[in-house]
This record gives sequence, structure tokens and C-alpha cells, in this order.
Amino acid sequence: MIYHVKIGDMTRIVEVRRDGVTLDGTPLDVDFEEILGVPVRSLLLGGRSHRVSARRVGSEEWEVHLGGRRVSVSVVEARTQAIRETTVAKSRPSGPNPIVAPMPGMVVRVDVAEGDIVEAGQGVVIMEAMKMENELTAEAQGIVSKIHIEQGQAVEKGKVLVDLVALDLAENDV
Amino acid sequence: MISSVLIANRGEIAVRIIRGARECGVRTIAVYSEPDRLSPHVLEADEAYCIGPAASVDSYLRGETLIELAKTVGAEAIHPGYGFLAERADFAAAVEGAGLVFIGPTSDTIAAMGDKTEARRRMADSDVPIVPGLTDAVADADEAEKKATEIGYPVLLKASAGGGGKGMRVVEKPEDLTRAFEAASREALAAFGDGSVYIERYLARPRHIEIQVLGDAHGNTVHLGERECSIQRRHQKLVEEAPSSVLTEEERTAMGQAAVRAAEAVGYRGAGTIEFLYEDGEFFFLEMNTRIQVEHPVTEMVTGVDLVEWQLRIASGEKLTFTQSDVELTGHSIECRITSEDHLSGFLPSTGVITHLKIPTGPGVRWDGGVIEGSEVSLHYDPLLAKLVVHGADRKAAISRMSRALEELMVAGVETCAPLHRRVMEEQDFKAGALSIRYLDEHPELLEADAPEEMMIAATIAAALLEDEHRRGGPPRIKRPSSEPLNAWRRAVHPWGADRC
Repeated sequence: MIYHVKIGDMTRIVEVRRDGVTLDGTPLDVDFEEILGVPVRSLLLGGRSHRVSARRVGSEEWEVHLGGRRVSVSVVEARTQAIRETTVAKSRPSGPNPIVAPMPGMVVRVDVAEGDIVEAGQGVVIMEAMKMENELTAEAQGIVSKIHIEQGQAVEKGKVLVDLVALDLAENDV
Repeated sequence: MISSVLIANRGEIAVRIIRGARECGVRTIAVYSEPDRLSPHVLEADEAYCIGPAASVDSYLRGETLIELAKTVGAEAIHPGYGFLAERADFAAAVEGAGLVFIGPTSDTIAAMGDKTEARRRMADSDVPIVPGLTDAVADADEAEKKATEIGYPVLLKASAGGGGKGMRVVEKPEDLTRAFEAASREALAAFGDGSVYIERYLARPRHIEIQVLGDAHGNTVHLGERECSIQRRHQKLVEEAPSSVLTEEERTAMGQAAVRAAEAVGYRGAGTIEFLYEDGEFFFLEMNTRIQVEHPVTEMVTGVDLVEWQLRIASGEKLTFTQSDVELTGHSIECRITSEDHLSGFLPSTGVITHLKIPTGPGVRWDGGVIEGSEVSLHYDPLLAKLVVHGADRKAAISRMSRALEELMVAGVETCAPLHRRVMEEQDFKAGALSIRYLDEHPELLEADAPEEMMIAATIAAALLEDEHRRGGPPRIKRPSSEPLNAWRRAVHPWGADRC
């Protein structure tokens, strides 16, 4: 099986076969062993010893811990990758990202109203978790299109708190 | 010596106190909230009693329940640890009132030092230098703005009742003051039940250096040298060391004497810490913590004095058996706080079950931990999982040892800040001892993911093999390589095996 493995901007091709592994076409000396009763693998890669702990955080997404580092890796099977490349639709920009709760916590305050224009970096919502306040800011300029929460509300991680649309998109809609 | 102690705390400090008490032959009584049933402090103690549900206000903060329990189970003393009820004068008074021993100073001392404005006044009266600023809480945002203009920006807003970074805000510009004041006041109210805030000059690049003191009930007070805790984020310490890499022997003596004066000024009994900001040879009183500190182990490592043992002995009425001239610092110690926080995303708290924990061991390594495999890390409590502490012959040796220990450490199931510590140990300014409390602000690259080529290749291969296993739902597809010596030799000489195409 051939995989497109992506870390950050770097994509490498890994082929996993019964008789071994190649990286970008070059055979590697790989020994990847489970350790009984422990969610850690021993990876000997060309004789270099790594302890690896990993979990699948999404479809084709892995979070790999090794050498005291955490690395997000996406692994896409080659045929799937090929299909995606030929069917990529032209995506139109949909405006700035919504404000999402980065952790479970409580909404202390909402600093905007629907229809407000926010600038990049401007505080939008203040959340509290573990008794610390965190200000959530807009990534880019936009118009507040919808507020999904109110002051005092408890929210789960990943909850969309405030929707933003890009300024030009909002104008086009008017 | 007292015969029994109830530990009104959880996590690593409860375990630390249990260890100390055990070594003194003191019966240990743990308390726990419902989700902490299988926490290490419950497993390690002689006895353990449930005191309520998860939320601290319904369990670890229920002073009356704890005192009742102590009386019922025949505990002679209560050790509050740090956090929770440790610096609540009313709790200490209630413990004393119930005829039990509070392991710490008197409630009057806690009250005096807990009120930051009162503490500053007392320190100024005892010739302990303080940071320029106000000694009174400001009434409202308008007054704060007026006072800030007098003191000069940047200013620091601090909760009068505070500690641990809560209710603290730095304000660089006048236009940010009102919002910061409101946030600080709200945070202070939520955390301490008191929203009053005071204001002082914000030093540009100070170091955080604190002095450990021990005072007995017979008027003897000594200091045990300093700890430098300059590496902080949002005023919470991450890395601590003893001794400081910057103090001269004269400065150490001067700060130590000031700390002893400060402790004596409030009739201090037990283990306490005087925190100072240090800049260019000047030092200023910051606050006094009237309890055991998180970072107490580095002092224990360089002085050989067991602080928890001495807390128990002093609470039992014993006299200090050594004087200032007996205190000697040997070698160098570093502590890294292992917290369940994701430093790559602004230190967001990470939660989950610890599925694997490999604790570093070996020469000069100490682990003060509050979690084990299977422990659930929730948002209910402090994110401090454990403290990794090393001791070495000198600072350089201690740094190497910490790097090695961090390499051994593995925590699976929750994110920790351990990778950040590894990078700090390798960073040039840290190695050179060029520190200030702005260290992390000045080294933002440490808070980004780094990507050494070899690690990235290993992660690439591991992820591909895991995804392959996952898709096929079976064990690793590749065969274990043969163990013939030639194969091993070849791997050693040609690390990437490229010769075998």
C-alpha cells in the first residue's frame, strides 16, 4: 500500500509492503514493535531507537509523540489522494473562521453584537476555564453574522460561539 | 511529634506530604472528591475519606467538613498543602478553634500576609524593599487610571487577596486600563471571593527570586537560600532552580537577611517563602506565601533539609536543630512542572485519561507526582500533574540531567508541556542563565512546533505503519528483521539503510 504522508507542508511517499518499507522510493531498515501492555511502540529506524506513542485523532489524521515532541501527521492512501486531486472543486473563500471554543469552559462575556465589524486580533468572547480568563480574538477582519451563545453559558470544546463573514461577502449580499 | 495528620489536599502535594509524614511515623489521613477515588494520594495514605463531589467548592474547599472529619477520625493536625485552603486565615483559625494543629503559621500571620496591601505596609516598616506603587486597593477603574498615570506605565494590576496569577493584569497603555481592571477584579472575585485590586510599577525585565524560610515557635528563624523561578507564563512558574545563576554571595546574604526580617516581622512559624523581584542588583518584596511551595523540592535538593518533615516538627513544637551558619548549598537543582497544558496552543488545558506514564529514574532524579496510569485529568483541578526534579554537581550538569530525564519521560493520553521543557533546557539564554520573567515572551519560538529531520522521518514512518495497520485491522505487516550480526552492523554504519536498494 502506498501512502501520502504529510507533516506541515512536507509530503512524503511511504510504501508499506510485506517485505519492507520505502520512503520516497528508498528502502528503509524498519523494525516497529509493540510493547506488551503498554501503548508505546519501539521503532528502530536504521538502528536509531525511538519510542513512539500515537493516536488516531481523525480519519487519516494521527498525532504522534516521539522524542518529547508531538507531531500531527496526515496519512492518505495513494488512490484516495489521486481521486481527490482530480475532483478538487474550486472553493470560494467563505470568509474568516468562526470563533470556536478552544476548550470546555464558561462564557464570561461577549464583546460584540450581531452586525458589528471586527478587526483581526480584536477580542470577541471572553471564556473562563480552570479559573483563568481567555480572550478569544478574530483571526481576520469580518462582520459578526451570528452569536450562538450568551454570557454565563457553559460550552464544550469545539462549540461554534460566533460566526463571522468577510466584509466584501456581506456587502455583496446586501 | 504529632501522631496523625489529615491532608486537606490532593495531587502531587498530598502524596509529598504523605511521604514526609510516613517517614516521621505520623499516621496519614487522606481526603478525596468522588472522581479522585483512585488517585495516588488515596492509594498511598493510611486512611482515606470521601468529602464530596468533583467541584472543589463541594469537596476540597469545604473547611467545616474537613475539620469535622478530622475530629471524627481522631486526626491531631491538618496539613493544607498549597492552594485550596492553605492561605485562608479563617480556615486556620477554625482549625485552631477546634483544638487541632494547623500545619502552617498562625491565622493572624496568614491574614496579614494574605492581604497584599497590608503585607507591603508591614514589609516597608521592616526595611524590606518594596516595588514602587500603592499600598492600598484602588476603588474603581477611574481611580486606577489616575493612579496608573502617577506611577507611570506599564503598570501591574493585582488582586489584593490573590496569588498564582489569578486576578493579575499588565497594562501597557492607558486605553487598555479600564477593561483590564474589570477583568482582574472579576477574576479576583471568582477565585478569592474578594474583587479588590491594587496597582504597582511594572518592572521591565526582572527575575523572580524567592527565599525559603523556616521559623519555629521559639523565635528561631533561618533562611534556606533562594530559588529562581523566572521562567513563567502568565505569572505561573514553569521551571525553578536553586541556587539562582545570578546572585552573588553578598546579594544572597542580603536577600536572605531581608527575608528573615520579613518573617520575623509577622512572627512567622513553619515553612514560608518570601518572593522578590530582582533587577540589576536591586530586589523588591513581591509577596509572602505562608505555606509549602510547589517548587520546594529544589531547596531540599541543595540544602538536604526536608521541608515537609520540618513543617511537622515545628507544628509539634520542636525547635530548629540548626542555625543559619549550618545551612550550606550543595550543587544545583532544577524543577520542571509537568502540567496538562498544550504549550503549542497557548497553554490550553488538556484533559483525558493517562493511558501510559513512564517516569524518569536514575541518578539525581526525583519525581513528585500526583497521577498514575489510569488517572483522569479533568478541568476540575489544577493542571499540575507532577514535578520532575534533578540535582547535579553544578548548573550545567543539572541541565544535562534534566534533558536526559525529560527524554525518558513519556505521558500518553493528555498533552503536557514536557516538550517545551526539553527545548528550554537546550536554549542558549537559559543555558547562559540570562533569564527574566519575560523569558517566554522573548522566546516565542519555544512555543512553536519544531521539526528535526530525523524525528519527522520517524513520525512519517510510524504514522504510515499505524494507518496501514488500522486500515487492514491487523498486526504490523512488515517482518521483524533478522538478527544476524551483519545486519546489525550494516544498520549501524549506514543509518538509513540506503545501501540496500
